[in-house]
Amino acid sequence: MIGNDVIDLVQARQESNWRRKGFLEKIFTLGEREVIQSAADTELYVWLFWSMKEAAYKIYNRETGLRAFMPRRLECIIERRGNENYQGRVVCEGTVYTTQTIITGEMIHTIALPVKHADKQVIAVEAPVYKDASGLPFIHNNKGEIIDVSKSHHGRFTRVVALDKLYNQ
Amino acid sequence: MNRTSLIEKLQTIVRPYSNNQEAVGTLTEDTDFIRDLGINSANLVDIVLDIEEQFGITVDNADMEQMLTVKASLDIIENKLSGNK
Repeated sequence: MIGNDVIDLVQARQESNWRRKGFLEKIFTLGEREVIQSAADTELYVWLFWSMKEAAYKIYNRETGLRAFMPRRLECIIERRGNENYQGRVVCEGTVYTTQTIITGEMIHTIALPVKHADKQVIAVEAPVYKDASGLPFIHNNKGEIIDVSKSHHGRFTRVVALDKLYNQ
Repeated sequence: MNRTSLIEKLQTIVRPYSNNQEAVGTLTEDTDFIRDLGINSANLVDIVLDIEEQFGITVDNADMEQMLTVKASLDIIENKLSGNK
């Protein structure tokens, strides 16, 4: 299981006004809003947390088959900050997802894994991506086996990721 | 407000966020905001806020979780308008 989310910051600014009254309260818990509002770059944290929620939600949706618009139920925590990269967790009703986010220029890319797979290697995938009957993406690995991938597209950017172990057999 | 008027009002609300104006024009109760109208999930928040403003209601988290389709939205709006806060 793997999830990812890409955000084109230029497009995000055009599509959403996060300063709109009531906007942050619908998406973020009180704890998250406190972190966002005390961050040096508030806007960046809004979209960082949003991409973490989306990436984790993709795993949740795939695992449970449930579909809901539930951003506040996916609570984000930043554990470590590097230069343009953030390591964190998203907790959803006791289920923990680990996240890695890379921010380069105008792109935010978050990859989420179930915490039990935190040590697994993730790779970027170039192969053609297909969708199964539920609309979930998959590819064929070098053995012709079907493996789950996560694909995200926003604005100028598309990223497809898979677990290395499954892709390179 | 009857269901048809509600649908028209909802159409006006979702229109600016959709990349498929034809689908907005022909939407039905089964229309899905993300899958059919191409609305991105961040804009779902705007739709909820617009609905709250325009109908004078409050949509709580539990309600918002279900608001992925026209039908779910109409049910919630009707429920709130009939006084079930």
